Amino acid sequence: MDGHIVELINVTQANSWLPWAVLYFFLIGLSYAGFFLSMPAFVFGRSQFERIARVSLVVALSCGIAAPIALVSDLHHPDRFYNFYLHFTPGSWMSWGTFFLSTYLVGLVIYAWLVYRPGLAAQAQNQGGIAAAVFKALGGPAMPQAVKFIGLITAIAAVLVVIYTGAEMAIVKTRLLWHGPFMPLLFLTTALAGAGGLALVLSNIYSHAGDNRDIQVGLSRFMLVTLGLTALLTIIWLLSGMAGVLVSGEAVMRLATEYNPLSFWLLWAVLGTIAPLVLIKSRPATAGALAVFGAWIFRWSMFIDGQRIPKTGAGFFPYDIPWGSEGMLSLMGTFALWVLLVMIVTTFLPWRGSASATGKAPH
Amino acid sequence: MNKNRRNFLKGAAITALGATSLSEADATTVVKRPLGTDKHRWAMVVDLGKCIGCQACTVACGMENAVPTGKFRTIVNNYEIEQGGKVHSVVLPRLCNHCEDPPCIPVCPVQATYQRNDGIVVVDNTRCVGCGYCVQACPYDARFINPKTGTADKCTFCVHRVEAGLLPACVETCVGGARIFGDLKDPHSVVSKIIDKQETKGLRPEMKTKPHVYYVGLNSRFQSKVEGTAAIWNAEAIIEGDE
Repeated sequence: MDGHIVELINVTQANSWLPWAVLYFFLIGLSYAGFFLSMPAFVFGRSQFERIARVSLVVALSCGIAAPIALVSDLHHPDRFYNFYLHFTPGSWMSWGTFFLSTYLVGLVIYAWLVYRPGLAAQAQNQGGIAAAVFKALGGPAMPQAVKFIGLITAIAAVLVVIYTGAEMAIVKTRLLWHGPFMPLLFLTTALAGAGGLALVLSNIYSHAGDNRDIQVGLSRFMLVTLGLTALLTIIWLLSGMAGVLVSGEAVMRLATEYNPLSFWLLWAVLGTIAPLVLIKSRPATAGALAVFGAWIFRWSMFIDGQRIPKTGAGFFPYDIPWGSEGMLSLMGTFALWVLLVMIVTTFLPWRGSASATGKAPH
Repeated sequence: MNKNRRNFLKGAAITALGATSLSEADATTVVKRPLGTDKHRWAMVVDLGKCIGCQACTVACGMENAVPTGKFRTIVNNYEIEQGGKVHSVVLPRLCNHCEDPPCIPVCPVQATYQRNDGIVVVDNTRCVGCGYCVQACPYDARFINPKTGTADKCTFCVHRVEAGLLPACVETCVGGARIFGDLKDPHSVVSKIIDKQETKGLRPEMKTKPHVYYVGLNSRFQSKVEGTAAIWNAEAIIEGDE
């Protein structure tokens, strides 16, 4: 074929952002989205959303605490993480992110403590020994104004986390798939759908038969909107590529048609987006789990497949997930950590609430 | 005698006087973040008409800088292109472009990567956290994470040799004299003369990085991302398989 080029010698560039990075973006997305879902009840006093808020706060806390562990693990020199604090660099989104993330996580923990204060005080009365002393020290009367104040500060930090996690990747001109507005927007919508889905799954696990109907109804509507937005944005993104308007659109088109069509269509489009949309009314918990998977597979495609597109050469770099700490072990270990954190929160903390942090009776 | 030749002879003399400590220096190890001098602006010209694709530069770089097996600070890409019923071979040595506007620097969250006054972009690997952000930002796939040090790694124009008056290892070993290194601030240097008199191209001009590796005889189809059939060599997988 005239003009055809065959590349004879080139080397695969190894991904420098590992599955740890996917885990971080996944967990922090679920965390900030879970936090946003808790705000209507705890910050704005809409007590009809309190049950959704309480289960969403479990999502925010468990994912939020696990997230920075994945982030530091993605560093190839993790013992130097303190350099992020010592050498602030105003021109780098990642540098800003260090401070946004720290503020968000500190705010989230204080916010959760303030929400759990009345419950901790109640637990202190039912416990003995050291546990009673700890719960008594941490517990106290509801402080709705303090919850509101800290909640708003944490919300600002959470919005900054949303912005930095999107901008950090979107500004990289040479990673064609990342460069543009769609990936950050889809980070947000998939995180919201995923957090709603995870809250649905948890409420299903921790509820007695049928007593989580109000949570199901509320979160199903929320997921319908966020999954719908995800589908809409994905279609517009693909169309922008077909029209040749955006380089990232062209890259996502090539991902869908040439680089990794099986992953794009089967895992991302069908299993991660369309299936939860279809199942949300009939099987909300299954739809919830699929929405969590959708949030995961979107990030996996962006990070892992995004780095497999050569910047100068032809083709699509091969990638096999390793079994060790740079691959499967990181995924299994982090999942185990997250399960442990959920167990700790749901076992030792009054996540269901014995008195309303909003100052009103629980719904 | 041109500047490059003078530098080479000066360096050879230093070596002859017993400067054996220069051997196998880890060029990314930077002590007290040396900034070099702004009297020079180092650059490289690659005359593709003279490159035979022998990979001597690839090997010399690996030996000089103790680059881990399977990683490359420079490599000569090799392509075939069919034109007019004939198949032509195209070689394209790639390395860090030591850009005037390097996108790898502003993204670094700890200021570990920086540009010296002489234009050479280096990594302070005593500070680098190995976040890989610079690897993402580099448009030339010229950076990688060194598995031995856990930090970002790249071509330094063999700064340790240049400061001793020597040529970069790849230039010194180049069989066909395709790689030419010199000072753009010296109008009499070979690189200045070539850039003045011949048509040169930089890679990926759409990135607006103002690269300081100039190519003579570069087919514009190879200037940006090459589209074609890939025969990618997964060096690391092969090494792991051997082990």
